[in-house]
Amino acid sequence: MRKFWKNVNARFKIGLIITLIFLVIGFVVYYFPHVNPFTYNSYPKKLQPSWEHWLGTTSRGQDVAWLLVEAIHNSLSIGLIVATIGTVVGVLVGLIAGFSGGIVDRVLTVITDTFVVIPSLPILVLMTALMKGTSTVMLMALVLAMFAWAWPSRQIRSMALSMKEREFIQTAWFSGEGTLQVVVTEILPYALTWSLSNFMNATLSAIASESSLAVLGLSPANLISLGNMIQWARDYNAIFARQWFWIGSPIVATVILFIGLFMLITGYNDYLSKKRGR
Amino acid sequence: MKFWKYFGLRLLTWALTIFIGVTFIFFIPRMFPSDPVETMIGQIQSRSGQMDPQQMESLRRSLRVQFGLEGSLGEQYVSFLWKGLLHFDFGPSLMSYPTPAGEIISTYLPYTLMLSLFSTILAWCVGNFIGLLAGFRKDKRSSKIMEGIAICIYPIPYFIIALVLQIVFAFLLGWFPLQTTITMMGTTADYIASLLKASVLPAISLLLVGTGWWIISMKSMSSTTAAEDFVLYARYRGLSEGKIGRSYVFRNSILTQVTALAMSLGGVFNGSIMTEIIFSYPGVGTLIQKAILQSDYNMILGCITISIVAISTATLIADLIYPLIDPRIRYS
Amino acid sequence: MRKFLSLLLAVLMIASLSGIAFAEETTAVGTPRTETLIVETQTPTDVPGQFNSYMQGTQMGFGIHQLMSAMMWEMDTVKGEQFGEVAEGMPESNEDFTEHIVKIRQGIKWSDGEDLNADDVVFTFNMIMSNKGISQCDYYNTVFASIEKVDDYTVKFVTKESFPRLALKFGVTIWGNDCRIVPEHIYSKVEDVTTFKDSEPVVAGPYTVKAYDELGNWILYERREDWQNSTVGVVTGKMPQAKYVWFRYLGDDTTRQMSMINNEADILCEVTPEILDVMTSYNDKIACWYNEFPYATSDDPCSKGLSFMMGKAPYDNVDFRWGITLAMNFDEISMNVFDGVGRASCFPILTATSAMQELYYKPLLPWLENEFVLDLGDGTTVKPFDSGYAARMAQKLGIKGTEDELIDMFGIGCWKYDPEAATKLLIKAGLEKKDDGWYYNGKPFVINMTYLADTEAQAGRGVIAAYDQLTKFGLKCNLSSESSATWDTNAAIGSYDIAGYWPTGGITRDLYSQINGWDADLIVPLGERGSGQGSRWNNAEATEIIHKLAKVSATSDESYELGMEFVKIAIQDMPFIGFHSGVKFVPTNSTYWTNYPCAENPYNGPWWWWSCFKYITTEITPAA
Repeated sequence: MRKFWKNVNARFKIGLIITLIFLVIGFVVYYFPHVNPFTYNSYPKKLQPSWEHWLGTTSRGQDVAWLLVEAIHNSLSIGLIVATIGTVVGVLVGLIAGFSGGIVDRVLTVITDTFVVIPSLPILVLMTALMKGTSTVMLMALVLAMFAWAWPSRQIRSMALSMKEREFIQTAWFSGEGTLQVVVTEILPYALTWSLSNFMNATLSAIASESSLAVLGLSPANLISLGNMIQWARDYNAIFARQWFWIGSPIVATVILFIGLFMLITGYNDYLSKKRGR
Repeated sequence: MKFWKYFGLRLLTWALTIFIGVTFIFFIPRMFPSDPVETMIGQIQSRSGQMDPQQMESLRRSLRVQFGLEGSLGEQYVSFLWKGLLHFDFGPSLMSYPTPAGEIISTYLPYTLMLSLFSTILAWCVGNFIGLLAGFRKDKRSSKIMEGIAICIYPIPYFIIALVLQIVFAFLLGWFPLQTTITMMGTTADYIASLLKASVLPAISLLLVGTGWWIISMKSMSSTTAAEDFVLYARYRGLSEGKIGRSYVFRNSILTQVTALAMSLGGVFNGSIMTEIIFSYPGVGTLIQKAILQSDYNMILGCITISIVAISTATLIADLIYPLIDPRIRYS
Repeated sequence: MRKFLSLLLAVLMIASLSGIAFAEETTAVGTPRTETLIVETQTPTDVPGQFNSYMQGTQMGFGIHQLMSAMMWEMDTVKGEQFGEVAEGMPESNEDFTEHIVKIRQGIKWSDGEDLNADDVVFTFNMIMSNKGISQCDYYNTVFASIEKVDDYTVKFVTKESFPRLALKFGVTIWGNDCRIVPEHIYSKVEDVTTFKDSEPVVAGPYTVKAYDELGNWILYERREDWQNSTVGVVTGKMPQAKYVWFRYLGDDTTRQMSMINNEADILCEVTPEILDVMTSYNDKIACWYNEFPYATSDDPCSKGLSFMMGKAPYDNVDFRWGITLAMNFDEISMNVFDGVGRASCFPILTATSAMQELYYKPLLPWLENEFVLDLGDGTTVKPFDSGYAARMAQKLGIKGTEDELIDMFGIGCWKYDPEAATKLLIKAGLEKKDDGWYYNGKPFVINMTYLADTEAQAGRGVIAAYDQLTKFGLKCNLSSESSATWDTNAAIGSYDIAGYWPTGGITRDLYSQINGWDADLIVPLGERGSGQGSRWNNAEATEIIHKLAKVSATSDESYELGMEFVKIAIQDMPFIGFHSGVKFVPTNSTYWTNYPCAENPYNGPWWWWSCFKYITTEITPAA
């Protein structure tokens, strides 16, 4: 572990630390007992930051700090769910397409290509506008996941195609191992290293999509997410009323989270390419 | 021969992709409990008060016939495929009946295209230039700073950048107009001036986001190329750094970027929604949003079909050209 | 590099300065700013250059009906009475209301100099009735047997059945009316009036179109040279003061408020109190209906509140509905909606506008306070009315005023907050209270609460506040917002539990057109689309009153008595919980124009988006 830490670059380290901080806020601090932050009038309205309310309160009498914790939790959850679904489905479809070849490959490739090509935002706007009434965190995640699997699947397929030709796979084949076994023992490890970076990327883009939709007013009304928090503050005109902590905290949190995740991704990729180079 | 086989297959995939995508778009709004007739009635009612029951019933009847929602789903689908996909005739816009959806789209399309094409291409040029420098002269401090800035700007969600720009430059400093007023009266010069004035902020916001990505990708590409043997060899031969940069690193890294540019040109619709809504800039993005909120089926279909066709065609062209410009790749 | 940057900065600053100097003199459309009244429109249009109101998709609220249309009867929004615009006075009907004689006002000319007379009126009605493509066609045919010209300035309308409300139905009551008189000499030459864009409209109103944006974001209107001959000129004899009226779409809330702060707009449609607060603090020329608290006018005739879906249990049970009513603390809801601003409008269906408050609310006060009780099902009763609301709010917000002033500001009262009684009522309605919450029919009971997104802040915030209240009370609720794309369908087929939409009103003394949608005969099974009665209120007594009222003249005393009876029945059965009457923050900017209608000078309501705006244009004067 120590050796690993020594070898990785600075960017990876910074990214990792930021991401870990957010994970702790979202999945540890979140479970500390607290008042449901959505409830109105829990506290006096429009308080400035103080020891009791680190980031003040909103115009609706909610505590901004807890609202933020809950928002980070929900946004990360959506991101992680989407990334998990997207990566698992993507890897599976990609591997199947890459290794079966023939008609199955053709069909899967066309479907994958379609999903790569379809402009996702208009469709997301369409779907979320139509299901606003019924949407929940899970449903929201499923809709976002619809567009998260296609890209990894395409990459994995081409990876699989090139691997098929490699010697050690051929050797494994000749030595009588079944396709499944080859895939599991030889190829999956490779695919997974690559998927990790894709996974983080998918998390990032899912959170971004959700918050864009929220800013268009299309995220579920009682879902506390980073995007919705920005949107609510905008609804109550926090920018012009100079309630900087209310509008600012979700924006700053989003920006830091995104930069952190992104540094983690690029740092990881650099590390991988260096390792391969060696 | 091999090329033609590749070409044929690729063309088939292209057609299939569009077909599947469009089918998808056709059925989604129809699966939900949304009904343009009810929306229209709701709109009339919400502004002019409760309607007489009798009046409502007769309105409903006549709208249903006019909107062409009479036939079964299958019939509607077939007629859409025939007219919409093959002739780009999407029928009348339901909310602005009987003006054809195509006519409305064609009014707004040029504005979206102009803004996004301009900013995408400019971002591509600037980003690649900086990225090339940063990758080629990896260890200079300026390169590191440039890359650092790119890394900090690129991942920020677009709407945040747009909002901040708008508040700072349009409101606090008052340098740019708050909302788009494009004057059609007066001379062509007036028109162009007002158009430019209105486009500056949206363009800058798109540039900022776009450039970041090109810097990052170009940097990683050119730094890989710069470490390859033939560049080292060129250095040993004593060629000037400028010469190496231009004819070795640049030429080899730019190829991938050209294809990427083609892809992102096809995808300009995706980005236009947020830009246009935040800056209230006229264009297809705002049109799509409005159409969705009013369940204007024909307009939704029109806008998204055009954008699907644009993206898949751009990808097709990129895939076909790529082997031509990069001899290392073969058609397969 | 530094040199270059500072140079760039200097150039930019000079450019921006000259931009500001430029903006002070002329508007972006090239008219002198001091002669241009800039009014916001709420939505841009997709069909720029289309001004024919009988072609679908024309956006009437874009100044078209405010400045150009000719209505048969217009509305005096202050008195709550109609007056003739194209018509000279109100229609004279025969005994059984089947024949109506309407005099046409003399002296009105179209903007091309032709006289407006009976021919135009007759032509318009017949055009509507003979064109299937006009959406009102069907309805006009069910009402009218014939429309004939008697002489140049007299028209005879013959209706198929007794029709006592001709002016109410075909003249303006709120917002506008889709009966707009068109020039015969233009429209009769058009082959198909439903596809005729009418890009250079000939109108009877005081303004004509000077230019419009081909992208649909603005329309510039110019006052007619011969404004004396326009509808407004003939009716009032006054000149509209602004030479130009520029209707423009200003975009989202951020840009709207910024443009008003920067004096780029004179009148905005409606904002939230938070926006108003900010705008007035940045620019002291910006004001609202009142100069101080409560700022907003409470006279918009659509009260907001909670609508029940009464086609299913337990929502069809009156005890359940009253239980929900008493479970909510209205004081808190009020604070959460608009910080306490707004007149309580506790009656179902009927909105507490100033006129309705005098006509229906105050006369019922003794009955509410003394006689009206609810049976809680365990032998006890409760008087649900709470008349202390106005005093409590005044104290809480530090408002001083006479009792009348406070009642005008906060209304006559609200429903009590009585969780104990609410619990009993819910139990009476068949719900069970267990340790882990409420049950109905042995299953955990959950209420789905819906509001319409992005349209009415007041309605949306009301539902969110109610969600908050009911959750605190212990009921389990889901909160969701719907876009109008799905909501309109879900409302019609009855696919909701409790929703924040507004089947309410109250502008004329006669309540018929307000309440006839609550006729139980219109109820259709869940899942089908009815006409009216989305909430499926099945009340035989109310229905009987509606049927009686249909045959009674709108001006008779009987109409008023029936209306009063209907209101009582509605209160007892509680089909809709009213929160506040329509509260509108309608800001104006007095940098270039003054004398907007306001609380001190209420010559008209602040309804810029209604067709009566043309009568406001004569009063708005240039700032010195």
